[in-house]
Amino acid sequence: MEIILLVVFAFSLFYLSMAERFRTYTALIALQGLLLFGLACFRLREMNVANLVFLVTETLLFKAIAVPFLMYRILNRIQVNRVHPDALPGFYALLLTMAGLLLSIFITRRLDGQLIERTFMLIAMLALFTGVILIITHRRIFSHLVGFLVIENAVFLFSLAVGMDAPYLVNIGVLLDIVVSILILGLFMGRIGTRYSDMETDNLADLKH
Amino acid sequence: MMLLIYFGITILLLTGMLLFRRRKVITILMLAFLLNQSGLTAIIWLNPGIVQMKYFVFDPLASLFLSLLTVISFTTVIHGLINLRSDSTRRYQYYQMALTGLIASITAATLANHLTVVWIFVEATTLCVSVLIYHEKNRLTLEAVWKYIFVCSVGIAIAYFGILFLGLGLRENAGFDLTFREMALILGDTNPLYLKIAFLFVLVGYSTKIELFPMHTAGVDANSVAQPQVSAFISTAMVNLGFVAFYRVYLVFSQTQIAGWMNHILILTGILSILTAAGYMLKARHAKRMFAYSTLEIMGLMAIALGFGPSAHPAALMILIVHTLIKSGLFYQLSQFFRTWHSYKIKETGNYFALNPHGGLVLMAGSMLILAIPPSGLFLPEWMVFVSLAGAGQWLVLCTVLALLGFIVYGFSTRMLHLLFSRPIEGRLEASENQTNWYEITIQWVLLAVASLLCFYQPPFLLALIHAAIQPF
Repeated sequence: MEIILLVVFAFSLFYLSMAERFRTYTALIALQGLLLFGLACFRLREMNVANLVFLVTETLLFKAIAVPFLMYRILNRIQVNRVHPDALPGFYALLLTMAGLLLSIFITRRLDGQLIERTFMLIAMLALFTGVILIITHRRIFSHLVGFLVIENAVFLFSLAVGMDAPYLVNIGVLLDIVVSILILGLFMGRIGTRYSDMETDNLADLKH
Repeated sequence: MMLLIYFGITILLLTGMLLFRRRKVITILMLAFLLNQSGLTAIIWLNPGIVQMKYFVFDPLASLFLSLLTVISFTTVIHGLINLRSDSTRRYQYYQMALTGLIASITAATLANHLTVVWIFVEATTLCVSVLIYHEKNRLTLEAVWKYIFVCSVGIAIAYFGILFLGLGLRENAGFDLTFREMALILGDTNPLYLKIAFLFVLVGYSTKIELFPMHTAGVDANSVAQPQVSAFISTAMVNLGFVAFYRVYLVFSQTQIAGWMNHILILTGILSILTAAGYMLKARHAKRMFAYSTLEIMGLMAIALGFGPSAHPAALMILIVHTLIKSGLFYQLSQFFRTWHSYKIKETGNYFALNPHGGLVLMAGSMLILAIPPSGLFLPEWMVFVSLAGAGQWLVLCTVLALLGFIVYGFSTRMLHLLFSRPIEGRLEASENQTNWYEITIQWVLLAVASLLCFYQPPFLLALIHAAIQPF
């Protein structure tokens, strides 16, 4: 079951790299939240109950519901729903993501450990690459925000791989998730979204002048 | 217990700042916090080597950088009191609370002996610095704070990825612990690929704080819009924190089989940092950004010194100490410069020596010192790095670094000469004369004088502390 959830997660990453509508991004982030919820349930079922409840709540309530809800609110406010016309076309972005997959396979094949752990690592590294590719190849700030959330998901996914040996590493990952996501989304909602209504990074270049 | 008292007092003072919305009270509470900070520093000097609250240790590396932090905290607070005179009480309150939180977070991260505890407090510094950067609440500060939070958050997430890799590599050691001492004992048997990936992620992640290539942009943008005393603090205390956080990991990894590989990566990072700084210096248009890129250059040199191996580590630490003194003095002087010209843009300003001779002299002396021209304290450690490179036959690295430094010296000095002695090229602004403040000038001269003194005389206690600080766990 874990493998199936991981494969679906990987597909969501490929779809994300090709997508051009922000609402699609938001739906995919919600889907990833649900997948992480499932993975946390399966992977950490031997953990103590309080810890497990905390993690499940974080993935289900925060990642799958609260974050996508905030993203929808931002989209309604800014009234922009597509990536910038100058952003890298979906096909090339997909090729880059495939290259990220090959690199992840190359690295994880050289690591020791059980197959399932290496699969977790593989998908986590793919998610990290996808997030970085989204940030680098897109010009609208919302895409950067999505890229960051994907990197956060990568960190969480990776922490699940080590979770049974060092549960505190997972909890700290959750702390990172909540604090930083709220900070970034809050700043976006409260300030950036209203000041820079067209949401392009070109507008955030005054400091260089 | 001692550390618990420090944190307890800090929380009480922060609560006081939150509740009493009177400027005088907030100032008194801030000064009380500085006393608290000084007390802790004295205690650390008097009780070397003890472990507190399981996760904090009073080791030589912490003693050295905590002492520097305490000095810079005093000077930053004093400059803040002068620069924020016209601020509303509310803004003043937020500023002092964020600064207090920042100093306490840096203190905790410097003392932490556990990888994840360091990481948590480094993350806390990002939150506090964001409040300080956003102090002016305008379009530029919003852009800077967004970029700072975004880049630092990505950096922090990447650094955590590195920690997880390490956790995965160590999972076969039942009940493993991520304290540095424990890791140093068990890392030897770990698959080197785990270590290499963990090191790369930690280096990239912490480069946001060290202001080192590739994530240096966060610090540069923050420096260019923050209040000058905050820029001074970010460029020195925060950079030192990034170094301590990274260096502890480096010391652990230096006892494994990836030590050589790690040093090559550091030398490459150092060269790329200097290259980036040189590229900007030749087209610099903004005085504060230029100083920020100068930090990138010096951190690049520090990384090369680190990468050269243990024999050059004292030089790396000396570079950091002297840089802290000079760069803070220079940034502090920029507040007077801004009060004179109301701008940091190089083309819109100039003739500073005639308008404010005392301030101009500080800028001139500071510029010479930061370029490592004798009697700069930076001269000797940089010379040691070059001699080591030549001695090891690393001619390509040496020639590349020297050529890039040539560009930096040219770009930096021509712009400083313009700021000091030439008329503005775009004469749209009216300068205000006589902005000398003797408290500020005295502090700046003391910082620069100590930095110069270190060129001729390095106190034995300082050398002993540096040598103790570079010892592996």
